[in-house]
Amino acid sequence: MKKISITLTVNGQKKTVEVTPNERLIDVLRYRLDLRSVKAGCLKGECGSCLVLMNGKPVKSCLILAAEADGSEITTVEGLGSLNKPALIQKAFIEAFGYQCGFCTSGFILLGHWILENMPDASEEEIKEILNGILCRCTGYKQIIEAIKLAQKWKRERK
Amino acid sequence: MSPYKYVGKPIPRADVDKVFGDAIFSFDVTLPGMLYAKLVGATQAHAKIKHIDYSKALQVPGVVAVFTGAEFPQKIGIYAADRDVLAREKVLYYGHPIAAVVAESLEAAENAAELIEVEYEPLPAVFDVKDALKPDAPILHERLAEYKHASFIYPEPGTNIATRVKLRKGDVEEGFAKADVIVEDTYREPLVSQAYLENWVGVARVKSDGTVEIWSSHQSPFAVRELLAASLGLPIGKVIVYHLYTGGGFGGKAGILLEHIPVLLSMKLGGRPVRLELNREENFHYMAQRAGYIFEMKTAATKDGKLIAHQGRYLLDAGAYADYTVNVARSVTFMAFGPYEIPNIHIDTCAVYTNKVPTTAFRGFGLMELFFASEQQIDQLAEKLGMDPVEFRLKNALIPGKSITPTQRRLREDAGAPADTIRRTAELIGWDKPLEKPKEPWKRRGRGIAAFWKGPVQPSSAAASAVVKLNEDGSVDLLVGTGEMGQGTVSALRQIVAEELGIEPEKVRVSPIRSTNLVPYTWQTVGSRGLYSDGQALMRALEDLKSQIRKVAAQIFKVFEDEIEIKDGKAYVKGKPWDSVTLAEIALGYMFPDGETIHGPLIGRGSHVPVQTTFLDPETGAGEPKPFITFGAGAVEVEVDLLNMQVKVIRAATVYDTPVINPGLAYGQVYGGLVMGMGLALTEQLVFDDHGRLLNPNLTDYKVFRAGDIPKEIKAEFLGVGQRNAPYGAKGIGELTMLAWPAAIINAIYDAIGVRVKETPATPDKLLKEIREQKPELLEEVRKQLLG
Amino acid sequence: MSVLVFRTTLPRFEYLRPKSLGEALELKAKYGGDAMILAGGTDLLVDIRMRAKKPKYVIDIKGVKELSELKYVEGRGLEIGSAVTLSEIERSKVVKEKFHVLWDAVRQLADFPLRTRATLAGNIANASPASDSAPALLVLGAEVELSSTRGTRKLPIKKFFKWVKQTYMEPDEMITRIFVPEPPRDSKGMYLKFTRISVEDLSVVGIAGLAANPKEPEKRIVRLAYASVAPTPVLVEEVEEIFKHDKPVKELIREAVEAVKKKTSPITDVRGTAEYRRHLIEFGTAYLLNRLLEVIE
Repeated sequence: MKKISITLTVNGQKKTVEVTPNERLIDVLRYRLDLRSVKAGCLKGECGSCLVLMNGKPVKSCLILAAEADGSEITTVEGLGSLNKPALIQKAFIEAFGYQCGFCTSGFILLGHWILENMPDASEEEIKEILNGILCRCTGYKQIIEAIKLAQKWKRERK
Repeated sequence: MSPYKYVGKPIPRADVDKVFGDAIFSFDVTLPGMLYAKLVGATQAHAKIKHIDYSKALQVPGVVAVFTGAEFPQKIGIYAADRDVLAREKVLYYGHPIAAVVAESLEAAENAAELIEVEYEPLPAVFDVKDALKPDAPILHERLAEYKHASFIYPEPGTNIATRVKLRKGDVEEGFAKADVIVEDTYREPLVSQAYLENWVGVARVKSDGTVEIWSSHQSPFAVRELLAASLGLPIGKVIVYHLYTGGGFGGKAGILLEHIPVLLSMKLGGRPVRLELNREENFHYMAQRAGYIFEMKTAATKDGKLIAHQGRYLLDAGAYADYTVNVARSVTFMAFGPYEIPNIHIDTCAVYTNKVPTTAFRGFGLMELFFASEQQIDQLAEKLGMDPVEFRLKNALIPGKSITPTQRRLREDAGAPADTIRRTAELIGWDKPLEKPKEPWKRRGRGIAAFWKGPVQPSSAAASAVVKLNEDGSVDLLVGTGEMGQGTVSALRQIVAEELGIEPEKVRVSPIRSTNLVPYTWQTVGSRGLYSDGQALMRALEDLKSQIRKVAAQIFKVFEDEIEIKDGKAYVKGKPWDSVTLAEIALGYMFPDGETIHGPLIGRGSHVPVQTTFLDPETGAGEPKPFITFGAGAVEVEVDLLNMQVKVIRAATVYDTPVINPGLAYGQVYGGLVMGMGLALTEQLVFDDHGRLLNPNLTDYKVFRAGDIPKEIKAEFLGVGQRNAPYGAKGIGELTMLAWPAAIINAIYDAIGVRVKETPATPDKLLKEIREQKPELLEEVRKQLLG
Repeated sequence: MSVLVFRTTLPRFEYLRPKSLGEALELKAKYGGDAMILAGGTDLLVDIRMRAKKPKYVIDIKGVKELSELKYVEGRGLEIGSAVTLSEIERSKVVKEKFHVLWDAVRQLADFPLRTRATLAGNIANASPASDSAPALLVLGAEVELSSTRGTRKLPIKKFFKWVKQTYMEPDEMITRIFVPEPPRDSKGMYLKFTRISVEDLSVVGIAGLAANPKEPEKRIVRLAYASVAPTPVLVEEVEEIFKHDKPVKELIREAVEAVKKKTSPITDVRGTAEYRRHLIEFGTAYLLNRLLEVIE
């Protein structure tokens, strides 16, 4: 099995990693680059705990080979903000109780972030449509949806 | 509006690190020099193991060792030690772990695992509980008599009965003789999965002094410690269990899970760290799921609308190992028949071994399953009596201070407000208002309601403790042993500290990484007991800390201790807030201007054991099993689509009697419990084929609801009726939020179309079958509309 | 195997990333059935992990420019390269307006994050009986372009599927394009997907319908195709003939339902019973026809 050298821009930083063909993007992000927010819940594309933004689009990183991702830009929740400098969507998740156990949370926050960036005026129905791609077992989704709507409102008010 | 500064308000959760990717779960733990373990499952449901050949596996580069059950004679189990580490002599279900491969990488371990060959001698298997009870049934546990078990578990050697539970109150024969209406029916619920998002994972190592360390995904660190020590014959003091964030538990991670496996593997391999992580398919096979149920019920009422007798035969399909299921059997018996007073009750419950995946607890500890049956009995009785279901429930609701519970104790005066929750729930759902008529003629609306009660099913000795340490900057470290798995108990406890000391909640820290050697004991993180039990310990710890603050401040201000007031993070003489010391100034004691120092560091500690709970009589069940009971009700409006047979929950309303510490957290439980309950009512089930093979060990076909499925409208209220000894009166609600839904939804389906589904989940195909049997004319109507 | 092993890691294979179609075809010619095409990967990587597919080589075609185009030529129809993602199709105005049944199927296929990767060609090549796009392509009369170093051929989609997860592709062939001819003028299309939860599920039954000129029997075109009711997605060709007759619509609908029942053979599986599927075939077909023929809103 030949090793492949790939370069990713992860949360704004260029990273070059040697991977084997059977390594997935999730494996590289978690275990090579120590981005543990990327979680594996099913390795089958059902749960979305491994969701990241790849070239600005939400993808499930358990169904992408690391080699396929060569040259791409990856955003994980670590790249959005920190407690001292939270992204709008992160603040909204805290304020609206948009998480419980936290295992699926990174995926939902990234989807929420994507909605804010790409569909800031998305209706509740449109938000749900997008969130349908990933699973949460704790929250019943309601406070997640409320968090995204809160962030939308903050964003509108800022303008 | 809350009269308090912090308590009763939606203060953000303590675990904000989960939003920034800083949070560490057991799933994230790796250690230097770590090895990877892989379990191998059996492909027979019941068979003798004739031979295991792992010679090829050992040749895979990177493989360190392969172990089979022969090497591990230990027996594991919380209430009955019925579980092998790895299958020995026999496999008891399809997927039963039969060998473990350990390698330098997971890939090597998996490559090697695929090369293991097993020779089986198939034995007759039994998958149905009723078959398992027949005299000629294949026996799973021939050595049942030898298993260690708790005193309140009654296994019956020579059979598949893991335990039998009895409840006797009054005289049911007399009751039925006086009855005007009797409803007799059977209800079934399949095995289901807790389906938390974080699959189980454990990393263990043994240090050179013999200390065992384990990082694992669990609910109750101290239960893991106790059971690990007991089953492996280790002193408790040599076991350290680390509790990190747990990615959901819902009962499925109560007690000991698979911790013993990486620990034993590490012991065999010179203490090297061993990681065993399960993927989703493995989690469905190797972790215990929820039992299946059959409720046979005969319930009677008099024509004035009073329940008079209930007879039940309850059967729990425990799978190959019964884990918590033997205690769930007690739960469904002692809480029968719901929050109503019935003078005569007779129940026999059995948990029964079958050749299926092991079973354990699930949020609600059997009561959601019980109420699925009993709340349909209630509706059926009401219909026979020609009485409104809400009115019928109100007529029979338990009355605190007056009613006698099924376990023959008078309900305490401050037990709560059963009737009020039912009444208010009915108001919120608009019980008396006409239903909207959908524009498509094949859609029908209906409403249903269910009431519930629950408290923790715990031993009378289930203790808790708490420590609060004051730091030099006036911040506080809160040390508690209750787990954080999403429910947010530690966030609520933090709020109590903030309230009691008058400091901002941000100044109270609960470490996201805790361990059994560094935090005080609590029995378990189960049964919605955390806030109540750890909360009471915490109240005492805070009282202890405050008395130390008063003591130091009294010396500073030269007054008596009872003259000191503690407020806003300061201590001062009552009425003189302008002259105060801050908590920061006295955290390590106080130094007078001449250098003389008093008291030393301030640290409060508190302990709790339940009061007035007792053992239960083995023949009658008499006694007090519960330190508290939360009461509530839930109602739904559903829309049944007769074209595709789907049931949609349009709106839901639910009311709980208890006050809450944090409405943000409490509503989170309400919404989560609702959607989970909807899933159990409508979609979730483990499906087995005729060979006992699990057909849906994945989230593709184990159907969990998604964002687009949630009801349009959810109304929830907390009535604020507290129990005197509870912290701020607050009782538990985590499990309670799920208990009403399957019953309420099924009752609503009946209201909509007159078809009663007595088996969960009410999937479209099942609903179609029921409609064809009970009301085929409904289909004819639609056929006419569509086909002319 | 006498043991159950559920893998977490992927077994080994070589990863190949051709830059041109020629190079891709060379690789496929060289390795044949040992090589599998990776477009979106959303099915393939699951199958590899679960050991349902065991490729020695994985050929990633996302770097092949020729395969990444979604083109529409008025009068001729759509041309969809095999690396085009479902998201791109979903976003296309032309697809939504002119090929509505395809758009409707695609937007209900899997979920939003998966559609950013998954491809139409992959959904077809996987040959699942539950494919949502196949019924839509069947009613649209699509053709699958298969290429190899030996040349290129076009296979009508109805002749593409052999059995569950099997197609009539040769081991050295790959899908390069899917051609979707211009649908009949003013036609309406709809994909009706029945699922266990209201969103994000595999189809228990999927029905694609296309109808034009509902009020004029001689010019009327009605086509129906199905997912999850037979070993392969099926087009019920008899339906088109039935609707050429000048009879009351309800009568035609009844005849069509009978024709569909004859051409389908649903089974019981973990997603639903055969009985329920037969019910959906009857009621779903009737409902869809009522909608397409403008009997009901």
